[in-house]
Amino acid sequence: MLKKSMTQLFVLVLAFTLVLTACGANNVGNGNTGNKNEGTTPESTTPAKEEAKQVEFTIGYATGDPATKKAVADSIKAFTDANPNIKIVDVSEGTSSSYLDWLKTKDAVGEFPDLVEMRDTEIFAKAGKIAELPSDLTDLFSKTPEVNGKVYNAPITFNAPQGIIYSKKAYANAGITELPKTYGEFLEAQEKLKATGITPIVVGGKDIFHMGFWLNKFLIDEVYVKDGDWNSKRTAKTVSFTDAGPVQAMTDYKELFTKYVDKGWLSTADNQTASILVSGKAAQLFSGPWMFTQIKEADPSFEFGYYALPDRAGGINVIGLPSPAGWTLSAEAAKDADKTEAMKSFIRFFFSKEQYSQYLKAANGIPSTKEEVIYEATEQMQEVLKIMADPNVKKSLAINNWWGENQIPPQFRNWFYKLMQDLVLKDGNVAEYMGKADVEYDTQVKANKQ
Amino acid sequence: MALPLTDNKKKKKKKWQTYAVLFILPSFLLYLLFVIVPTFSSLYLSFTSWDGVSSDIRFIGFNNFVEIWNSERVHNALKNTLFMAVVLVLLENIVALALAMLVDQVRWFRNLFRSVFYFPVLLSGIVMGFVWTIILNYNFGVINQLLDMIGLSSLKADWLGNPDFAMLSIILSTVWKSAGYYMIIYLAGLQGIPQELAEAANIDGANRWQQFLHITFPLLAGAMTVCIVLSMIGSLKIFDQIAVMTDGGPGFETETLTYIIYKVGFGELRQGFGTALAQVLFLLILIVTIIQVKFLRKREVQL
Repeated sequence: MLKKSMTQLFVLVLAFTLVLTACGANNVGNGNTGNKNEGTTPESTTPAKEEAKQVEFTIGYATGDPATKKAVADSIKAFTDANPNIKIVDVSEGTSSSYLDWLKTKDAVGEFPDLVEMRDTEIFAKAGKIAELPSDLTDLFSKTPEVNGKVYNAPITFNAPQGIIYSKKAYANAGITELPKTYGEFLEAQEKLKATGITPIVVGGKDIFHMGFWLNKFLIDEVYVKDGDWNSKRTAKTVSFTDAGPVQAMTDYKELFTKYVDKGWLSTADNQTASILVSGKAAQLFSGPWMFTQIKEADPSFEFGYYALPDRAGGINVIGLPSPAGWTLSAEAAKDADKTEAMKSFIRFFFSKEQYSQYLKAANGIPSTKEEVIYEATEQMQEVLKIMADPNVKKSLAINNWWGENQIPPQFRNWFYKLMQDLVLKDGNVAEYMGKADVEYDTQVKANKQ
Repeated sequence: MALPLTDNKKKKKKKWQTYAVLFILPSFLLYLLFVIVPTFSSLYLSFTSWDGVSSDIRFIGFNNFVEIWNSERVHNALKNTLFMAVVLVLLENIVALALAMLVDQVRWFRNLFRSVFYFPVLLSGIVMGFVWTIILNYNFGVINQLLDMIGLSSLKADWLGNPDFAMLSIILSTVWKSAGYYMIIYLAGLQGIPQELAEAANIDGANRWQQFLHITFPLLAGAMTVCIVLSMIGSLKIFDQIAVMTDGGPGFETETLTYIIYKVGFGELRQGFGTALAQVLFLLILIVTIIQVKFLRKREVQL
């Protein structure tokens, strides 16, 4: 514990993907301060006379994680303080439904945000609701994934890897002195934890997205690291959920959930998991770095560690590939030159070195900019960054984050996660349930083609 | 035989009719715009594959209805909806009637009891859902904490996560919320029953149960028709509690038709399919209500 403060070092955080791909980086500055931009288009060289013009635009983003929500809200405030002529109306809301549900509801009532955190780019691009990212902004980022050959998003952060967040005290009590190097060792550790009377794993299964953490862990290990085009093959019916890989993945999931997960997992919300972990009712949580702030806030004295969960052979496979998501201009707002200019200014401001580092620190994010960003990283976050920088770690995506030919029917994810809840609840036969997944997948593909 | 109207009276009547139309017009236009037009447009949308976002609306004939017919998920939701409706109608009415009789007969704090029993009605379904979610939480909920405190930890359960209890928990919390509303209707009915009938029955030697069975119950038939029809419609449309308390889970255990309509329509980008499901629910409510009203009207007693 006494070393904790020492571990909070100021660390030079490189944008890891930048290390691999950042050739031709530019000095991309904050549009507000008039820093130089690569592009010399009229938009990027905002004349002073336009600053006085009053502009207003709406903004919408996911508010599920309180730390991230606050970090975005702080950025908005800092921007509007520095640009009094620009008013940003934050239309984001806390909601019990998924972010996509909320966004679609907003669209249905004619309140689609002008600037929106987009996660389902392909759907909204197809519907003509979003505009391409202005070309002078794309150079800010080390990678900008394309959808049908077009770039729509300013990636807020790169996808962060999920891993085991564990209580150091619980591990010590169970005599676990070394972190598991294979999945088998991990299961042995669960037995040791169970023997001490503590619930080994807390899961926030009430929130359907949380189910995805574990389900995708197993799917990545058994399916996606072996074949990144598995989804497109499933759409073409050349592979099946009843194949050995997916069946093994869900067999592992079922075994883990039956033996080692908190009994109340189906009524536990994602935002309750931190409290359960720090209260000592459970020893571990499988989640991403965005939880670090929540855990710290729940109990600043709680000592915890983080590691990537290995597969059976000891390999490390994590979510970490970029996917088309991030700040996106709505097609409607992009028609208005003043609004577009204001939104571009905000995006430049958000990703400016100083502002972005504050956001990353609060949200424990993986930087997406070409420019190096320095921020204070905790001991746990350093581990995350190490994993992301390690060339031996295989990067992949969750079932619903693939795009292009590999995009699954948008409604399939939630249905599949619920089916997997049902599998555990009813102690079902894995192969039989995966057969149901095949039928539903094909039905949804067919329905979407109509 | 009505006397012929003089010119003056005719003019006056016409003037009043014009006023009436002018007063009705704003409400009618709003009703037309927000109810009639969407109703008819939804009828069309139910025959399309519209995703709710794009402008591409394709007519696909009866495909949505064929899918509804074949969908295991819809069958499950229909089964849950009907089960919930039947149990809720029974429980809500039994509890409401019992509360009404209690409040009707209590001598002290009558108004306090009325207010207390009616209070949950004022809460929105969303708020009520959140409150009960906290109460029923496995790790932090009051119920499990109490069981722990009194040494009955073995009875602790995941009230919203266990398929055996999830539906029951939703039903009980809904009864808690809505029984007060029906209590007021029953109370009005009870207060309309002439006191002399009870006094005459007393003189004839009828006990309390006999008085209830042969006097109170038949004379409450009117109130009962209203309460049963309203609670049936409310139960078939139940949504808020499910959205907040279980999200249709665990698995698909508490998915109902209204919930699935929202889920597929908004969450799964299948507005056409969701609208088709809404038509099915509309038909279901219509049929059930017609049967109920016909059956219940027969047993109503006119004083």
